[in-house]
Amino acid sequence: MQNWINAYSWMNIRFLLMGLEVTVLISVVSVLLSFIIGSVFGIIRYSRIKYLSAVVGFIIDIIRNLPLLLIIFFTYFGLPNFGFKPETIPAAIIAMTVFESMMLAEIVRSGLNAVDVGQMEGARSVGMSFVQALWYIILPQAYKKMIPAIISQFVSLIKDTSLATIIVVPELMQHAQVVYGQNANYILPMFAALAVLYFIICFSLSLLGNFIDRRLA
Amino acid sequence: MRKKFWLFSLVLWTFLLTGCGQSLSQQSVLENAKQANTITWGVKGDVRLFGLIDVKDGQQKGFDVDMAKLITKHILGPKGHADFVTVTSQSRIPLLKNGNVDAVIATMTITPERQKTVDFSKVYFNAGQSLLVPKNSPIQDAYHLNGHTILGVVGANSVDNVKKASPKAKVLELQDYAQAMNALKSKQGEAMTTDNGILYGLAVQNPGYEVRGGTFTKEPYGVAINKHQKSFVKAVNQAIDEIKADGEYNRLIKKWFGQVPGFNYKELYSK
Repeated sequence: MQNWINAYSWMNIRFLLMGLEVTVLISVVSVLLSFIIGSVFGIIRYSRIKYLSAVVGFIIDIIRNLPLLLIIFFTYFGLPNFGFKPETIPAAIIAMTVFESMMLAEIVRSGLNAVDVGQMEGARSVGMSFVQALWYIILPQAYKKMIPAIISQFVSLIKDTSLATIIVVPELMQHAQVVYGQNANYILPMFAALAVLYFIICFSLSLLGNFIDRRLA
Repeated sequence: MRKKFWLFSLVLWTFLLTGCGQSLSQQSVLENAKQANTITWGVKGDVRLFGLIDVKDGQQKGFDVDMAKLITKHILGPKGHADFVTVTSQSRIPLLKNGNVDAVIATMTITPERQKTVDFSKVYFNAGQSLLVPKNSPIQDAYHLNGHTILGVVGANSVDNVKKASPKAKVLELQDYAQAMNALKSKQGEAMTTDNGILYGLAVQNPGYEVRGGTFTKEPYGVAINKHQKSFVKAVNQAIDEIKADGEYNRLIKKWFGQVPGFNYKELYSK
């Protein structure tokens, strides 16, 4: 019992919260970047542009089928061989963004495919260009359908940031490891604290998703 | 078309994988450090007594860290600056090879295997591997572990040493020392093994467990430096000699290991 009380001293909790800050930073930046890149890639693959769509599809398929851990390793240990040496936090952001963009690209493409073909035909027949039809007619409908899938992808992104401990990014999981490095008896209290903190962030994101979903429906 | 594409990508990859990365070994780490007035050290962040991040200020603290600071001062002068990057047993060699850190001082034993990829300074700390067991355990030493499950940490050589002493011992490797300790407590294994300094640190926090059987290996810790950096190795060696000669070394040993019960820290003094 004494171990639990000592483990939750203000100093330790403060250190965990500093880790949480980095986790949130990595998550938010990766979410924003991967949303943009993922949308662009998804739309390109959907649009069936000659060669370009095939190349993009090829890249998406390769990256989607690699473990995220491998991509994290590659950005931190592999890229320096090509003359680019990222710090740990940027390396984590790059790896998360690359991986999540490709996951989102497929969500975006399936969302676009789920919009009835008649919508595109109708838009084109009243004289809209392909881009106009996409922008004003197809995309708004598609994104509405995609919200639940996108939110669940972002929730798993937040949880996956813990993989970045492998390159010693000072995020939540790594800070917990440092705290229980002081005293091996703090390991269970720290796991409990991790569970609570990750749950709070991920669950509030889910609630936000539900709220947006209801607003748009 | 397809054949051409594969050929092209093959050529591209061989170029990328072999062509680059040559220039790093040709730069002098020592010269760069002198110019920047900074040496970047790779240290542990979760190992008590050697390199542990202090939750109060986020700085790494421990014997390795203090040694690194002293070596920096001896090489660059009193205004020399030491930067610290947290490494793990798995990441320390890649980071050294990639030039993210100039040198690694992270509870790293000098082994012939490692000497193939990196160079080492002279020994700066003499550790030895031992066993941590529950007080009522029948295990007496490392040579009678056949059939028992022994816990260690990944990336370290401690598990191989157990295999050498008792070839039929089962071993289980965990992510860090605290996890190994908890695996021992939850009876996932019957003994935990690593360097004695770390084990004594764990024994203090866990009454009911003790370090047993003495040391069964010699684990000389060295500063790891990238290959082809003879001048830097020489400078570090000289710094270690100076630190030992002027008594700063013994002061550090007392500072970090003087408080560890059961640990005869005076054995570590430089003569």
